[in-house]
Amino acid sequence: MSGATFLILLALSGGIFATGFFGLMARRAILFQLISLEMMLAGPALAFLAGGAWHGSQQGQAMFVFIIILAAAEVALGLALYLALRRGADVEDSDTITGLKH
Amino acid sequence: MLSPYLLLLLVPAPPLAVFLILGLDPFFLRRKAVQALALLGGIAPFFAMLPLLGLCLGTECYGVMPIFTLVFGQSEVALALLLDPMSTLVGLTVAAVGALVITYAIDYMSDARIADLRRFFALMNLFLAAMLTMVLAGDTITFFFGWELMGLCSFFLIAYNTSLPQAVAAGRKAFIITRFADAFLLAGLLLLFLEANSVRLDVLIPAGTMMTEERHVVIALLLLAGALGKSAQVPFHTWLPSAMAGPTPVSALLHSATMVAAGAFMLARFSPIVMSEPAVQTIAAIFGAGTAAFGALSAIFQTDVKRLLAYSSISQIGFMVLAIGLGAPEVAIAHFVVHAMFKSLLFLAAGDITHGSDLGTSLQAMRGALRRRPISFLAYVAGAASLAGLPIVTAGWWSKEAILATAWEGGAFGIAIWVLALLTATCTAIYAFRPVFEALQPEPAHISHARRGHPVALDLHYRPRWGSGFITLPLVLLAAGSLLGGIIVGPIIRFLGAEAPHPAHLPELVAAVAPFVGMAGAAAITFVPALAAAVAGARDMRRPTRLDRKFQRWVIEPYVRLVRFLAGNRIGARAEAELELRHVQIVRWLSRGARMDGIYQALFVRPFVNIVRWLNGHRGGTVDPVGTFPVSLALQGTQALVERLAHDRFDRFWMRLANRLVRLWVLVCAIQTGRSRDYALGAALGTAALLVIAWGTTWN
Amino acid sequence: MGYDMELTALILLPFFGGIAALFAGRWGRDAERWVAIAALGLALLILISSFFSDGDGRWIAIERYDWAPSLGLQVILAMDGLSGALLVVSLALGIVSVIVSWKITEYSGLLNAALLWTVAASNGVFLSFDLLVFAFFWELMLVPSFLLISVWGHGDREAAALKFLVFNAVAGLGLLAAVFYLGATGETVTFDAFEVAERQIPHGVQVLLLLGFAAAFLVKLPVPPLHAWLPDAHTQAPTAGSILLAGLLLKTGAYGLFRFPPMLFPEGFATLAPFGLALGAFGSIYGALLACGQTDAKRLVAYTSVAHMSIVLMGICGGVYFSLMGAGVEMVAHAFSASALFLLIGALYDRTGTRDLRELGGLQQNAPRFAAAFAVFFSAALAMPGTANFLGEALVITGMFQVNWIFASITLISLVISVVYATRLFKRVVFGKSRRTEALEDLTLREMGPIVLLAVATLLFGMLPQLLMGALEGAVEAALVPVTVP
Repeated sequence: MSGATFLILLALSGGIFATGFFGLMARRAILFQLISLEMMLAGPALAFLAGGAWHGSQQGQAMFVFIIILAAAEVALGLALYLALRRGADVEDSDTITGLKH
Repeated sequence: MLSPYLLLLLVPAPPLAVFLILGLDPFFLRRKAVQALALLGGIAPFFAMLPLLGLCLGTECYGVMPIFTLVFGQSEVALALLLDPMSTLVGLTVAAVGALVITYAIDYMSDARIADLRRFFALMNLFLAAMLTMVLAGDTITFFFGWELMGLCSFFLIAYNTSLPQAVAAGRKAFIITRFADAFLLAGLLLLFLEANSVRLDVLIPAGTMMTEERHVVIALLLLAGALGKSAQVPFHTWLPSAMAGPTPVSALLHSATMVAAGAFMLARFSPIVMSEPAVQTIAAIFGAGTAAFGALSAIFQTDVKRLLAYSSISQIGFMVLAIGLGAPEVAIAHFVVHAMFKSLLFLAAGDITHGSDLGTSLQAMRGALRRRPISFLAYVAGAASLAGLPIVTAGWWSKEAILATAWEGGAFGIAIWVLALLTATCTAIYAFRPVFEALQPEPAHISHARRGHPVALDLHYRPRWGSGFITLPLVLLAAGSLLGGIIVGPIIRFLGAEAPHPAHLPELVAAVAPFVGMAGAAAITFVPALAAAVAGARDMRRPTRLDRKFQRWVIEPYVRLVRFLAGNRIGARAEAELELRHVQIVRWLSRGARMDGIYQALFVRPFVNIVRWLNGHRGGTVDPVGTFPVSLALQGTQALVERLAHDRFDRFWMRLANRLVRLWVLVCAIQTGRSRDYALGAALGTAALLVIAWGTTWN
Repeated sequence: MGYDMELTALILLPFFGGIAALFAGRWGRDAERWVAIAALGLALLILISSFFSDGDGRWIAIERYDWAPSLGLQVILAMDGLSGALLVVSLALGIVSVIVSWKITEYSGLLNAALLWTVAASNGVFLSFDLLVFAFFWELMLVPSFLLISVWGHGDREAAALKFLVFNAVAGLGLLAAVFYLGATGETVTFDAFEVAERQIPHGVQVLLLLGFAAAFLVKLPVPPLHAWLPDAHTQAPTAGSILLAGLLLKTGAYGLFRFPPMLFPEGFATLAPFGLALGAFGSIYGALLACGQTDAKRLVAYTSVAHMSIVLMGICGGVYFSLMGAGVEMVAHAFSASALFLLIGALYDRTGTRDLRELGGLQQNAPRFAAAFAVFFSAALAMPGTANFLGEALVITGMFQVNWIFASITLISLVISVVYATRLFKRVVFGKSRRTEALEDLTLREMGPIVLLAVATLLFGMLPQLLMGALEGAVEAALVPVTVP
């Protein structure tokens, strides 16, 4: 892998992460926030893959698998919470749920 | 090829099987079936013993039937049954007496509730099986198994009448005292096992005779103590008179051929060990003769026929122990056989005569027996004659004579013992015939329900059914044995491998006269009113009777004069009064079985109860003091520590800190909006800041 | 060696069976009880089939699993005759305790789970040869038993359960400290008992470590003055709890003492054994005396346990073949006879609502089967020849005669006192009359099953002792230690 490809990939991963962060900040719908979170995880995952390829090591791919598992676990919890909120309080807007403060 | 000794296993097996069937009762048997089974189990051992006797008389009389062998590290434990002359003879006697007693009990117990009947016969059969196992045992483990099982059965049987507190108490007393003595026996047997590395009697006993002096004495004394306890010899005798609370067949079985006689049998079994130690032998002879004399004297003063017979058992087994102490176990076994016959006869006959009487088993209940129960009365007379040892015509005379002759041949010590034994024999005749003469008196016209003395046996279930063959047959057979059995005393002793002693003519003549003297004495204390009153009053000596006054003149006053002379006439009036009181105490002491009960009560039972109570928090103790100690120690320790630190500075410091923290918390809480986007932003900024810091640290 | 996982199965089957029993209540009526019985029965079958496999010398089976080798963590399970015998006891008593608590309906899933977990943990104790795992199971045992006493107990159950927990947990710390010391001070970090046994440990250290081990074992045994938890725990526990306490938990103490001190600290054990003998001698008399004065039937039996386990202690500390063999036999025998007595008293309590000896009586007249069952275990309690209890005590006494005759005589005295308390119990419960027992239901079929099982076991091992003694041989040979009594 050439250095240029590596840099492009790193930039791409940074872009995906930034997009995800923007989405998380800007959207108030919970579902979109979850999607944004997934994107935020995907960015660094790509960076790990790229780094692994650059160094010729398997550890980058191992970390990728870890992140996939983390993302799956997170989205499972997140969707469960989302469904519970929809059913219980019928909310879509994440700013309106502040109950945990108390 | 099957060993003929396999038959040995068949001897205790039928009663054991009957015990299991009756005990578990899988078929819900009916009354007749229970009785038939019990009878079968009772009689079968006798018929299993007969071929063994034939074998023994015919070919070689020695055989071992191994059961199984255990390997214990370096030692082997081989369980086996043993056939030798002694086990054949005693086994046959036990089987015969057991069969007859159980036959008798079929009728005697016929009115009991079915559940009680089953329990009774199950236990009787187990008892018989245990005794037979013990007699035929070829090793100490089997021996002890039978020995202890008998103790257990005696507990259940004496306490057969479970709703009667005194019966239960008597059962407990018998069990605890015999168990106490059994501990000695167990110790002796285990020490022998360690010495010989085997439990087989044929290895153990020869090894036992070759031990070092010190161990030998210890083991012989332990065995002796075990025998004294089981045989109710002084000082362990107190359980036997109380044990009369059991039903009459139980007493007949317990006190004739089994249980109490087991101690004498055990000593005979281990006689090579006991006999190779002269000191222990002498102790055994003294205990035996002393117990014989004591038992006979005590029996005279009893007012209850079963208690009288109980003391008689104590006395007669004393004779057996005496014979073993004199080095003649064969003679002891001969007396064992004869005693088994006449003692069971006496119990069975007395039980038959007194039952249905309002007076329980007191002597007065015997009155009018000749008219009411002629067969039983005649059987009783035969038994009493044998017990008293009327010369030539009774079996008792032959066996007792053999013991007396053995004593006579034993040097100066032997002659002293002979004199004591002769006096005992005289007393024996007195107490043996006292119930007979009592029975000849007319029945009291008005029978009072207020019982005198201690009516111990209350056979609540008994309703006499006169003329039953189940009662007559055992009585007739046993009476015949008690009278004619004398013929076999000589052969028995030879069969066991010894020569019957040949006494000199003079002592033999004297001994032959003794029973008649005793009979005269018995007649005197029954028919001379003054004497009768004296004996009857001996139990509670409130005022002096005429006999007492004679006793005073001929015994006490010379004694007082002697003491005064020895003391140089300086004896005070108070001491004199004490001396006069003493004879009263002596008679009372005898009539109450040496008051050993009281002594034990004071010496063992009371302190034991006190200790137990104290340990349980009565009498000013704490409950379970040893267990409570660490707990209370720990509690007090922690309490002291906690009190010291309860209001400490550390505590105040932490509390102040906590209050500040709470105030800080209120300030910080303002950041908390609850909106997830705010938190996400915070997290992002924080991460960015961290990255910046990390970047900054790479500047050089 | 048969299949490879049999020992693991012996621990895991009851454990997972317990988890299944927890939820089985909704599958059908009594499903949790059947699940429990199935798990224990299966484990018992596996255990018995493993007896027929070819062992490795003394060991019937050995299993080793690495866990975290760099930390010295591994699982070593090994079974010899002693463990095997005690495992049979534990599984059999587990089944008995499930049957006994058939009628208890509150939280019955949790109840059966607690019973199974107690069995699982004590199986772990009997099998583990990795000291850390042993200590783990040792502490684990306390939890389900604590639950048993505090949830389903009678009377002042919370206090009794707490007392039980505090005594045993505090004493367990000594074991834990000694185990950590042993694991950390070798050349490599290891808790493998076989490896630790090969080390040369200085004598003084041995004594100290042994004191740590002994603290845990003696409290569990229990020997006076550390026995205060036992009478309360026994009395307040439900019948099944009493059975497992008397039959299993006390035996783990005796097992630990039998197994580890002679193996790990032979010299230290030889130094301390005379004190153990003295403690045992004291306890055998003290427990018996206290038993004579109790008015609560269960408490009486509890104190007899103290006396009998003290005799076991004497047997172990005697260090000679006979006394050790006697201790092993007595452990098994006492497990059967004491739990049978608890079972009977529990059945009586269910019917009459009292355990007070002054109010009971008359079983002979009203419930003959009950009385007969009592008679059998009454004779076992007073060590009648023919029962396994006699065999155990006679062997201990024989061994004591080889060690010192004073200890032998004390054991004999304890044997005599046993007649006093046993006849007292029998007199008050079976003989006499009582209004409470007049219309009493005799033993039912479900109650008879366990009783017959226990009676057969007691008599079988008493009459054919080679079954048991052959199994114990190897463990006894390994525990021989020359003890000198001044």
